[in-house]
Amino acid sequence: MRLLLIEDEEKVARFIVKGLEAERFAVDVAFEGDRGLELAQTYSYDLIILDLMLPGLSGTDVLRLVRLRNERVPVLVLTARDALSDKVQHFEIGADDYLTKPFAFAELLVRVKALLRRGAVNRANVLRIADLEIDRLTQQVKRAGQRVELTGKEYALLEYLMTNVGRVLSRTMIIEHVWDLSFDGATNIVDVYVRHLRNKIDEPFERKLIRTVRGVGYTIGGEEGL
Amino acid sequence: MNTGSIRFRLTVWYAGLLAGLIVLFGVAVYLGLNHYLERTLSETLSQQAKQIGEAWLGEVGVSGESYVSEEINEHLSPKVNGRFVRITRADGSVMYLSDEPENKRFDPTRVPLLKEHIGQESLREEHLTPDSELKIFALPFNAKDTSKYVIEVGASNQEIESVLHGLLLAIGIGLPAIVGIAIAGGYLLMRRALKPVDEITQSAERITSRNLSERLPVAKTGDELERLSVGLNRMIARLDESFQHINRFSADASHELRTPLTILRGELEAAAQQPQITPELRETLGSALEETERLSRIVESLMAISRLDAGEARVDHAHFDLGELTSSTTEQMRLLAEDKNIVLRCEAEHEVSVEGDRARLKQVIVNLLDNAIKYTPARGYVGVKVSATNSRAMLEVSDNGVGIPPEALPHIFERFYRVDKARSRQMGGAGLGLSIIKAIVTAHGGQVRVESVEGSGSRFVVELPVAGKTLE
Repeated sequence: MRLLLIEDEEKVARFIVKGLEAERFAVDVAFEGDRGLELAQTYSYDLIILDLMLPGLSGTDVLRLVRLRNERVPVLVLTARDALSDKVQHFEIGADDYLTKPFAFAELLVRVKALLRRGAVNRANVLRIADLEIDRLTQQVKRAGQRVELTGKEYALLEYLMTNVGRVLSRTMIIEHVWDLSFDGATNIVDVYVRHLRNKIDEPFERKLIRTVRGVGYTIGGEEGL
Repeated sequence: MNTGSIRFRLTVWYAGLLAGLIVLFGVAVYLGLNHYLERTLSETLSQQAKQIGEAWLGEVGVSGESYVSEEINEHLSPKVNGRFVRITRADGSVMYLSDEPENKRFDPTRVPLLKEHIGQESLREEHLTPDSELKIFALPFNAKDTSKYVIEVGASNQEIESVLHGLLLAIGIGLPAIVGIAIAGGYLLMRRALKPVDEITQSAERITSRNLSERLPVAKTGDELERLSVGLNRMIARLDESFQHINRFSADASHELRTPLTILRGELEAAAQQPQITPELRETLGSALEETERLSRIVESLMAISRLDAGEARVDHAHFDLGELTSSTTEQMRLLAEDKNIVLRCEAEHEVSVEGDRARLKQVIVNLLDNAIKYTPARGYVGVKVSATNSRAMLEVSDNGVGIPPEALPHIFERFYRVDKARSRQMGGAGLGLSIIKAIVTAHGGQVRVESVEGSGSRFVVELPVAGKTLE
């Protein structure tokens, strides 16, 4: 998979590239709009990550020109502007997703994978980690063969974690997915729900599946450490 | 009535001035008339006395005393005219005395006789009864047959007094009437003249930080009021400019803050991913990440507030049921309350239709409930209520928590204001939640207020216009 990152902030570009390469993506970087457009039109990328505030040609123009050639390449827009009108404008021009700075790298990764229709979307009806098993059709949860009763939100939270096994999900991502963004910010609703979920599926068992990654969020399964 | 208004004060002032002037004028007229009437009466009396002497009494030796009496009765008719006439001989005996007048003002027989014959004319006043005073002109007269007489002609002072009384009555009735008319007329006139001021005031009241592009109406009258509204408009323009400047500044600032935050976060996450680092370092990095997260939230909130203040908030204009939104949001928050053993009760009237950004208003409910739950101790109570009147929808969130000290109440909607610095920071807030609530509610044409008693709870009330109406 080859990705193009058009981002003028060198340091931002550096950690994105580092992170994506760790996930075994090949990444090309352009620091200006013009260079980015050139690359986009020369090579066939699987995905473009585009910053909007660029020297020279702006990100908006790059997006417009890429779409003018009717390219179906998915474009993920990165920006420091988060006004709803900006988002709407860029979706209309042809952006596929939108991520506001500052973002958690995990979130960028989940979105990239979702756009590439790879990894993030686990369509299986039954998901399993160790001796934990959930059935997405009946919404039944079993640990070590015993039924565990979960409330609707607890189930939604667990399912979201299970479809992203081994990946750290930020509170914002969880809120956006399980609740809606109105809950972002002040509330500690995610922590409370995670605690309740832990009490039901982890507390009675020796092996703890849900892990807190300090400063980032929560993950299920995967190895120790981050 | 507003006794401090210019209209009231001016009206009172000039009604008072007018009343004073009228009183002064009345006193002058009264005194002048009194003087004039007294003099006229004296002259009349002296003329009549001379007429009696020259026309009839001079020839008394020829014509006889009874002729004189008849002539006086016929021509002067003292009885009808209310005159006192008396002719006294030199020996002090009375030759003629007029009858009691028809109006019975005085009794002529009770006027004391002259002590002695007088040598020259005189004017005197006789008090017959306490309320009857007689002005008498006495004239010594020598008839052609050299017999001496004194002719006395008098009239009651009451004639003058009744005229003056009439004048007083006219002034007494006229003064309040005139002042009354002047007050009413003046008040109406002032109201007319000051109506543009009311209009300017009302327009100025409507202008807040979010509609600074509006201007006051300017009547092209060329008067002071036109200058006032033009001057105010210039001031609003300057305010508008500086507000835009501030909004642009905070938008730029938030934007500039985001890039370094992105880098900081990305670098820290990358560092934390290194497998070989020690648990201590991982903790440190995690803590730094948490702070980055908090800083990001503050930037987000500031950005949101500045956008709301700049009036960009209401992109979405959906009609929805505030009651339904509130009860569903409350259900979603229930676990947070149960976690602290707080009783969370929701009484939401349904079909309370409001218009606006559903997600933003949901944020208001979430923030209010989150605050209430945070600041209510375990086993406390949090109540949510939605009700509606004709034009307004009310959302109330009350609790029996720690409350807010009275000195903090006026400030709690200010940005970065914290009631209890240590505690709220520990709770992870940045002092922006209530500012956001206020900005959202204001952007929807509503109001938010708070009542609180320290130690026994708070009550936040959000009022929004019902869809299709405005709050007055």
